[in-house]
Formats: sequence, structure tokens, C-alpha cells
Amino acid sequence: MADWSPYWNEILETIDGGRLRELQLKKFRRIFRWTWEHSRFHRRLYDQAGIRPEDIKTLEDVVHVPKVEKSMMREIQSKDPFPYGEALCVPLEEVTEFRQTSGSTGQPVYQPDTWQDWEWWAECWCYILWAQGYRPSDRVFIPFGYNVFVAFWAGHYAAEKIGCEVIPGGVLDTQARILKIQELKATAMMSTPTYVLGMAMTARDRMNMDPSALTINKITCAGEPGASIPSTKRRMEEAWGAKVFDHTGATEVGAWGYECTEQPGGIHVNEAMFLVEIEDLETGEIIRNPGQRGKMVITAFDRMAQPCVRFDSKDLIEWAPEPCSCGRSFRLLKGGVHGRVDDIVKVKGVLLAPSAIEEVVRAFPELSDEFEVVVCKRGDLDQIVLKIELMPGAEENKTAILGRLNDQLRLRTNLGYQVECHPYGDLPRYEVKARRFKDLRQKEI
Amino acid sequence: MDDRVLKELTQQIHVLKETALAVRSKGVNLRIPAVERNAARILASVKMLELTMGDLLDDRAEG
Repeated sequence: MADWSPYWNEILETIDGGRLRELQLKKFRRIFRWTWEHSRFHRRLYDQAGIRPEDIKTLEDVVHVPKVEKSMMREIQSKDPFPYGEALCVPLEEVTEFRQTSGSTGQPVYQPDTWQDWEWWAECWCYILWAQGYRPSDRVFIPFGYNVFVAFWAGHYAAEKIGCEVIPGGVLDTQARILKIQELKATAMMSTPTYVLGMAMTARDRMNMDPSALTINKITCAGEPGASIPSTKRRMEEAWGAKVFDHTGATEVGAWGYECTEQPGGIHVNEAMFLVEIEDLETGEIIRNPGQRGKMVITAFDRMAQPCVRFDSKDLIEWAPEPCSCGRSFRLLKGGVHGRVDDIVKVKGVLLAPSAIEEVVRAFPELSDEFEVVVCKRGDLDQIVLKIELMPGAEENKTAILGRLNDQLRLRTNLGYQVECHPYGDLPRYEVKARRFKDLRQKEI
Repeated sequence: MDDRVLKELTQQIHVLKETALAVRSKGVNLRIPAVERNAARILASVKMLELTMGDLLDDRAEG
């Protein structure tokens, strides 16, 4: 076994804080100037704000650069050049990759990348996979329907770059994928938490197979916060007998964060490739200290075709108080991404984050992996219906289980729920991102 | 990592880049896409080397 460094790039991952900030300033200035010079959309935005590249003298000046929202990107894509619009910074013939966002929050945004950008995507993912223990000896299975959604494409290229053997599990169905993992003795895989649990259920219920008896020893998750929710992480790890790691990224941003093998209860921001700012939801001030949650504003330093400069991602994050014991100087976000600002809803006057419900439900071994939350109106009052499935054999303790569940939900969320018990296997199963939270209140008006 | 090692790496990356640029340019002039496009791909990888190594030293050099 080769004596590998624990770091993909020790030079940058262990850089001291002062030097890192210098590098970030230099890189921000460079991408800002590039965008100002090459994107008609950004130039207009910056001219309106009266800001020019020479105005960025320190990292504190970055806050004066206007933020970009996803809705703006949707708007400009109706303009030339087709199909990307006015944020395209390179000639169309230099674009080699088309991808788009998942569409889970509305009309998908198209993302052009040059080959250099695509190399960059893979490079970002190399930091992730290496930090999670992927090495050239790994055989990596990717149970992902390779398509226009970027998802695990760059993970595939990064695993190749690291030297792993990569098995593309594209159009295979779930059972065929499990059989291929078994046949080839795959050691790692990448998937959404929803599908990690879904595959385990299929193995157990339909194939009479224990997924923990397979050879998978690490799983990289993306697309949903599950791998940073302790109870969901534990379920996945127990089901597969493998370490489960979170990673964070977005189509229009890149792969910007990763959990390392220390599993420190948070994710590292790749601060050599990205600038992450946390903005207070009420005041808009930048939060610099640990312990206060806000929304992320992010810049990708080296993505050139359609740059990402101060993108308002609406992800809820907070800085961790302590550095990670892994030795990386890249800062940690405590608990990963806690959801999106858009996901937080007010029910009966209380702010509710769907991830809080997930954390409670998944902590009950008597409940299946699936659940659904429906917020609706009964008369003038909000009502939350929580649909759950009892595991086979748990029915006889139903009353006690539901009592404990209601207690935990109230404790965690300060809200009461009408819990509906469904037969095991009755609720919808999802392959990529799940849609477990439904707010029907506006539809009823 | 000490700056002497970084500097040496940076110089080697620079040589790679100059060579790939020259090869790409020849591919364009000779109208051989196989040369031009392969050199372009190498340049994208060289850029990753610059980002991971060279950038940092440039930062010091530019002061």
C-alpha cells in the first residue's frame, strides 16, 4: 500500500490563515476583473452599483460588489448568445460542456463550461474525494443517471483523475446496480442520501441481501443535507457498514465544500478555490464569528465561462468554533448546510426547517427511511401532517412510538403534528432529490 | 512547504505551459487539429497546476 499524503494538495490545504486571505483577495480581484470585462450582464450590474475592479483593495471591499441571484440568471438566459445569454464570458465555440441545475427551485439555469472549467470542476472534486479517503486502489461505483443535471459528473472525472477505477452505473435499475456492486466488489460510491437509503431498502426487501455485507466502505453524498444530519448519516452508515461523508456544491457554483475522514460534524470550505461569506438574514451584515447562522454568498475564483461572483445561494450555514483536527486550515461550517432560506416556512407563527423534522424521524429505528410532511390549512389554522411508515414488526408498539415521536417533534420544533401512519412501502420512493415537504397553504387560498 | 520548492515547481509549470502553447500554435499554423486540440487539453491541465501551485508563489512575487 502506497504511503499517500492525507491531503490532495498540502500546499493549499494547510496554508496559514494570513497567506490564505492574501491569496483570496488576489483571486477575487482577478475573477471580478474578468467578469467586469467579459460579461455584459455583470458589467451592467456593476456599473449600476458604481463599482469597478480597482475599488477592491481589501477583502472587506468585496461586500460592495452586488450579489447575483438565481432568478437573474434565469432572466438573462433568454438573451443572446443562445442558450446562455449575457453572462457568457468566452466565445461560444470554447464551450465544451452543457449542464443545468436540477430545477428543484424552478426553471433550470443553464451552465456552460469550457474544458478548462471542466478540469476545474474535477479538481475541486479531487479535494473532496481525497479528503474522504479515495485512493487509486478504490473501485468507485456511481449509481447516477448521467444526464443534463451536473450531479456526480465531476465526481466521476475526479475519481478518474485520482486514479480510481470508475464504474458508471448509468441506466441500470436499482437491483442491477446492487448486483454490479456485488459482482465487481466496488469499494466506494456516490449518491444522494435519499438514494443511498433507497438502495439499501431495495437490497433488503427485494433481494434479501444485506447491503452491509457488500464491499462498499465509503459513500460520498450530495444534493441533500442528509449526510450532515446525524440521524440520517447514522442510518446510512449502519445500512451499508460504510463511512458516509457529505459534500456540498451547486451547478452554478462548483463543488465548494467537503467533510473529511475525521467527520468533525461539519464541512470544510475549499477556501483556495472559493470565497464563502455568511450574511445575516435580517441586517445583511457579514457574519465573521462562529455560532450565528446566516445565508451563504459565494464566489468561485477560477470558473471562467459563466463566472460565479457573489452568488446568493440561500444556503443556511454557520462557522464552526474550532478548527478540524485533520490539520486542514480551510475553515469548517458547523453541521454542513442546514437547508435553504427558501425552505424555512412559518407555521403557526413558528419558523420551521424541514431538516429538523428529518433529524427526529430518522432517529427512530422503528420508522422506515421515508416520510412526508404536508402543511395545509384547516379553517384559519395551519396544520402539519407528518406521514410516516412503521417498520415491519413495529405495529404492536405503535401507540408508544407515536407518543415518543410527537414529544421529540415538539421538543425539536416547538410545533404539534398530526401523524399519519402508512403501511411499510406505501410512501413514494425517490432516486435523486426527494420532495418530502409540501406546503399546500397557498394553493388553498 | 518552503518557497524554494514552490519556486522550482512554478518554473517547471511555466516551462510546460510555454511548450504546450508553442505546440498548440504549431497545430494551428499547420492546420492539424489533433495537435492543436490535444495541446489545448494539456493547457487546461497546466492551468490546474498553476492554480494549485503557481498562484501562491505569484502572490508572493507580485507582493
